[in-house]
Amino acid sequence: MNKFFNLPLQQKIVSIYMLANFIIFIVNIFLILGINSMAIDMGMVYQDNRMLNELSDSLTEVQDNMTLYLSSKTSDSLENYYKSAQSLQTLSEELGGQVTDVTFSRMKRNIKFMSQNYLEEVSQTVEAKRGRNVEKYRTYYERSTELYEYINAYIDRLNNEQFISNSDRYTEIAAAFQTFESISILVLSLVTVGSIISIIIIVRMMIKPLKNLAISADEVADGNFDTILPEIRYHDEIGIVIGAFNKMIVSIKEYIIRQRESMEKERLMQEKELTMEAHLKDAQLKYLQAQINPHFLFNTLNAGAQLAMMEGADKTYEYVQTVADFFRYNVKNHETEVSVREEVTLVDNYIRILNVRFSGDIKYEKQVDERLLSINMPTMVLQPIVENAVNHGIREMGDKGIITLRVYREDNNVCISVRDNGKGIEQEDIDKILSGDWSKEDGQYDNNGIGMDNVVSRLRIFTGREDAVMIRSEGKDMGCEVIIRLPLE
Amino acid sequence: MGTQDSSLKSTKKFHKQNILLIMTVLFTLATLVVGALVFRFYMEDFRKPSEAFIYDKYYVMITDNYKSDFWQSIYKGAFEAAKPQGIYVELLGQNMEGDYSCEQLMKVAIASQVDGIIVFANENDEMTQLINEAIEKEIPVVTLYGDCTKSERLSFVGVGSYNIGREYGRQIFNIIKEKRREDFIDSKTMSQRKTMQIAVLVNTDSQDSGQNIIISGLQETLDQENATNSEFNISMVPVDNKNTFSVEESIRDIFLSDEIPDVIVCLNELNTVCTYQAVVDFNKVGEVNILGYYNSEAIVSAIKKNIVYATIQIDTRQMGQYCIDALNDYYEYGNTSQYFTADITLINRHNVDSIQDMEESDE
Repeated sequence: MNKFFNLPLQQKIVSIYMLANFIIFIVNIFLILGINSMAIDMGMVYQDNRMLNELSDSLTEVQDNMTLYLSSKTSDSLENYYKSAQSLQTLSEELGGQVTDVTFSRMKRNIKFMSQNYLEEVSQTVEAKRGRNVEKYRTYYERSTELYEYINAYIDRLNNEQFISNSDRYTEIAAAFQTFESISILVLSLVTVGSIISIIIIVRMMIKPLKNLAISADEVADGNFDTILPEIRYHDEIGIVIGAFNKMIVSIKEYIIRQRESMEKERLMQEKELTMEAHLKDAQLKYLQAQINPHFLFNTLNAGAQLAMMEGADKTYEYVQTVADFFRYNVKNHETEVSVREEVTLVDNYIRILNVRFSGDIKYEKQVDERLLSINMPTMVLQPIVENAVNHGIREMGDKGIITLRVYREDNNVCISVRDNGKGIEQEDIDKILSGDWSKEDGQYDNNGIGMDNVVSRLRIFTGREDAVMIRSEGKDMGCEVIIRLPLE
Repeated sequence: MGTQDSSLKSTKKFHKQNILLIMTVLFTLATLVVGALVFRFYMEDFRKPSEAFIYDKYYVMITDNYKSDFWQSIYKGAFEAAKPQGIYVELLGQNMEGDYSCEQLMKVAIASQVDGIIVFANENDEMTQLINEAIEKEIPVVTLYGDCTKSERLSFVGVGSYNIGREYGRQIFNIIKEKRREDFIDSKTMSQRKTMQIAVLVNTDSQDSGQNIIISGLQETLDQENATNSEFNISMVPVDNKNTFSVEESIRDIFLSDEIPDVIVCLNELNTVCTYQAVVDFNKVGEVNILGYYNSEAIVSAIKKNIVYATIQIDTRQMGQYCIDALNDYYEYGNTSQYFTADITLINRHNVDSIQDMEESDE
């Protein structure tokens, strides 16, 4: 059985087809043989009658030819007589000579011997005729004619009897034929049903692995690589396909594992790289911090201020003190939130320092509502804005540049406005700054490193509002105003 | 675990399918084989030739009327005696179209080259010639019931006609004695005593010597019994048996004549039946005493009814057997006894029941 199932699919299908056909072929052969033998039987039924008729005809022919010869003595009739006598002899010899219980056989025996006797008589008649012995041939003729009649009577009776018995037999054979038909139809039907069932089972057994394969493939398609791999039962094409599929699934699984491992490795590498970078940044920062230690700077400046005071140089003292205050703000201010007052003070100090550096060129106006100075805001916000106003607005105006700082209340907001009367700024650039798309051009002056985008985004985060910062410019050389809105809670 | 389970299940299912497949294939093959065998046996049974027993010898029996009970009974006796010896006896004429005379059947038998002929012969020349022809062709011939003394027949199997005649004579004497008694009672009419008319029905066309022997036997018996000539008068009444129906007509003619015989002696079965029927038809029961021949059913029942006075029972089986014995003796020893005489029994109303019982028990 397994040998069969291990055959290639093509051979398997072909052999099933051939087997089914072979079985049907055998059944058909049986049918044909059966029908044939029955047909022969049917044909044989009246064989005896035919033979008897032949015998009777032959007998009559002998009698006729003899009579003809006796009456006309033609050579034709003599020749015919010999011929017919020969054939009668042959035919009569074919009849069995046995004595049995069966009437027919005894009748045949009697017919046989009587025919032979008759032939003797006839030949004697013919001889007598040849010898022109009229008296003798007349006697012989009568004797043979009498015998002829007896034989005919026998034949007629036998013919009749046999016909009756043969008819019965014919009926029997016909009935047998019908039985045979029924048996054949039954056998054919059963064999056909059997073949169909076998074919269905075999085909199902062949197709089943394919179905299992399809189910497994579907599961794999759904991402379940841990599906039960279909079993390879036979080494036909389907078995080969299933084997290939199984191999594929196994190798895909292995591939996935390998992939996962390599991804893990990569991730580790990246992490390492990132850590390295962070460390580098940290180192750089520490290095920078070490470079510009504000405490060191502040203490140095403070020492400079005290020296100036001891020397009586009041202006120097004041300047250095201001610079020291400015830097101290940086040093102490590590919190994210400070009061507006502190920011404004920082701006004051910054302007004072700039005015010393640029010999009092910058006019600084302050309109501050003192009640609002205690509210909180992000640190390091105002100074960069003022620095921008100085650098981009009024740098090239000499003593005509004016910076106006206002702190006022508007509705429920505290507004801090830094205004200059300088170059102004294009609306396009304002939009860029506010959307954070502003990119610093090379060689451009940079403030302490805190860019406008940093300021804007911190203010937005602090207030939770998108319009926390507003930049207004009325056109070229018409100045610029940056307004910060802080909620008054 | 689940995987193992499902694989176990699929294996089970697979086995189930395998078994189903094998069973289906086996079933198909079995159907084929059974169908072929059934057909084969059926046909074999159907074609089985009727088993015929082959016999060594073939004898024929020729009678004038193969249909009669008498001949059938003899034939049966012969057949049964012959069969165990491997000899088939055929009642010739049974299997031929048309009616044939004994002579014609003799010709058929001779031409058929049978091994032996048993023939109901008569004394005419043609029969003698035919018997001699058969002997010439080395076919032994036994004459049965009727003899052909002039021929070279091997043997004769008969019934002892003289004995039959004596038996008839005794019966007639019984009738005469009865009449004497009646006459004695009725003594006034002694002077007008009537002679008893005895009619013996004889066949016209047969040169049967047996008939004459019967009559002489009958006469002798009456003489011996001291019946006086005035007491009886025997006459031969010819019965025309040349054609099938003339017998009955001849017998009826007797009853239409002025003097109806007191005793009618019938020498064959047909005559007996016809006479008995005529007696009934002419309302002569009790007046006419019939001495019948052979014990066919009709005759025996007539005895019971007192229509027939007595009948002769012939041991027909024995006759048949004697025929076979004679032929076999010829084949074995080259010769055999010239005469065989079968036993006869008289049946009258006194012994009819016992004889019938015996026969029934025989059968």
